[in-house]
Amino acid sequence: MLTLSRVSRRYGETVALSGVDFVVPENTYMSLLGASGSGKTTLLRLIAGYEEPDQGEISIDGERIDGQPSHLRDIGFVFQNFALFPHLTVAENVAFGLRYRASAPLTKESEIKERTEDMMALVGLSGFGHRAVSAISGGQRQRVALARTLVCEPRIVLLDEPLGALDANLRARMCDELKAIRERLGVSFLHVTGSETEALTMGDKVAVLANGRIVQSDAPDMLFNQPGNAEAARHLNAWNIFEAGLCRGDFSSGTIAVRFDQMDVSAEGAAPQGRPALGAKYLTGEFNGPTALSFFRADDGTLLQVIDHLSQPRLPDLVEGQRYDIHFAPQALRQFHGAA
Amino acid sequence: MSALSTDTHSATTHSPAELREKKDRRRAISLLTPGLLWMFFFMVLPMAMVIYVSFWTQTTFSVNSTLTTASWKHFLSSATYLSAIWTTLRIWLIVLIATVVVGYPVALFIGLFVRNKTLQTALLVACVIPFWTSFLIRVIAWRPMLGTEGAINVILMKLGIISEPLTFLLFSEFSVLVGMTQIYCVFMVGPITFMLGRIDISVIEAARDLGASFGTIFRRIILPLSLPGVIVGAIFVSVMVLGEFATAASLSGRKVNLLGNIIVSQVGSLKWAFAAVAGVVLTIIITAVIALALRLVDLRKEM
Repeated sequence: MLTLSRVSRRYGETVALSGVDFVVPENTYMSLLGASGSGKTTLLRLIAGYEEPDQGEISIDGERIDGQPSHLRDIGFVFQNFALFPHLTVAENVAFGLRYRASAPLTKESEIKERTEDMMALVGLSGFGHRAVSAISGGQRQRVALARTLVCEPRIVLLDEPLGALDANLRARMCDELKAIRERLGVSFLHVTGSETEALTMGDKVAVLANGRIVQSDAPDMLFNQPGNAEAARHLNAWNIFEAGLCRGDFSSGTIAVRFDQMDVSAEGAAPQGRPALGAKYLTGEFNGPTALSFFRADDGTLLQVIDHLSQPRLPDLVEGQRYDIHFAPQALRQFHGAA
Repeated sequence: MSALSTDTHSATTHSPAELREKKDRRRAISLLTPGLLWMFFFMVLPMAMVIYVSFWTQTTFSVNSTLTTASWKHFLSSATYLSAIWTTLRIWLIVLIATVVVGYPVALFIGLFVRNKTLQTALLVACVIPFWTSFLIRVIAWRPMLGTEGAINVILMKLGIISEPLTFLLFSEFSVLVGMTQIYCVFMVGPITFMLGRIDISVIEAARDLGASFGTIFRRIILPLSLPGVIVGAIFVSVMVLGEFATAASLSGRKVNLLGNIIVSQVGSLKWAFAAVAGVVLTIIITAVIALALRLVDLRKEM
């Protein structure tokens, strides 16, 4: 179990992390969702030991690891750009840790070879061992980076946007494989990403990093359906967040959120009774295949999005620039207490 | 040929792709020509001439073009000349090792530990500052430093470490080695720094993450990845040191005779055929050294 408590990191005036409290349980696929610049890479670098926190503690199973040299921490790190050793073959890359680590390196060539080959088979690289790393594809490089890390059996594996350098098809396939590989090894993965779909698909748990702290850490469906605060909701890219005062009738106050797919549209003034409604101007639509996204501008300038599913259309024909009523069921609303 | 006729007679015309290819080829040739002409007239032709002259007949103060192998026989059977080859090779090897030993840590610092590009450039420029004075001044400046009443001896005597001046410092092989190492070190630092600067820092972090200590990372990652830089630097240094004569002439007190010094003195006494033999031998040695260096590392793969 990896535990971070009150971890802070500053770069001059810029605060990257301010008091992060975070737990990655045993045998868990943990996704860490954050916008670019939110400090998610910094968080991984602190755990791996490439940098040290200004304040706070990092520990694994109760043993404090901050301050330890990074090569003795026994943590796996998979780089976004893979960071393969360019002068070594695929097999030599995978065997690097076993052969050259400072603590308990393997000396028997036969054992190194066996474990290297087992790991390459696990990630689907059998038969590629003698290739130069410049002579394999992006997806295969990703597998080498993964195998190289996993073969050392680290206590936890940190993945820094591991799918970012892959094309869309490959990304979907690697998603499944990463999950499968993790389940077979039983080690915890901490997967950092800026994509909410990736975070929700991959994670047994998903944590949202915003403003230098973890704003929520929950199971994916829990997080998606019941974000605990406006920050978390904003990162899911599925919630309209707006002031309750925009709605007609005095039913609520403060900042509220309603999911894109739980909002309905009718002609101005035709909103059904008993449903909170607000007026907004239709801006434009975006066709995404199975779904269509419509954009509206509320009276205070807030952008609202409504999702329509192609198989069950519920929106009327919309004319750009015209005003409509947007309404939703009272129970669809989520209200956030405290600071937004 | 007019535009109209080229449109209609496809048999005699070229496709746009062919025309473009022709144009590209013409441009390539025009870019190459000056260099090729220069190389032909000022390198290939003189080299051929030197080889030719090395077989001319040498009399005391003149040469004539009667072909003979006398100069070669004389050169290869003379202890003076053979020992000059040996001295040249020995000094070359020691200077080469010294420039690597002195230059590599400097390059390691600039290329790997300084991650600010501006500072990197500034430090590299600082390495070149000695070159703002002339070659000869840089060499001669070693005399007041290494001489019997030079700075080093004076300081050591004042400190009471020695009671008599160290005489081996100047006008010895030692002073030649010191002088050459100082002058040529920067040609080693440059290429190594360049190669080190290209190493992705995350590759080193990855090695650390896999549990390797700094020593292991240096041996297994940094050194192999910078080796092409060492080879390029070694080629620069070798070419310059093997052809050297000025440092030896001004710092050795005539005790060290390199092939370069032999050529200078033979030309000075108008023994063109001998000078030509020494020149050919020197060229063969340099060619062999470069060929050996290129065998060690496949530069095509690294550039």
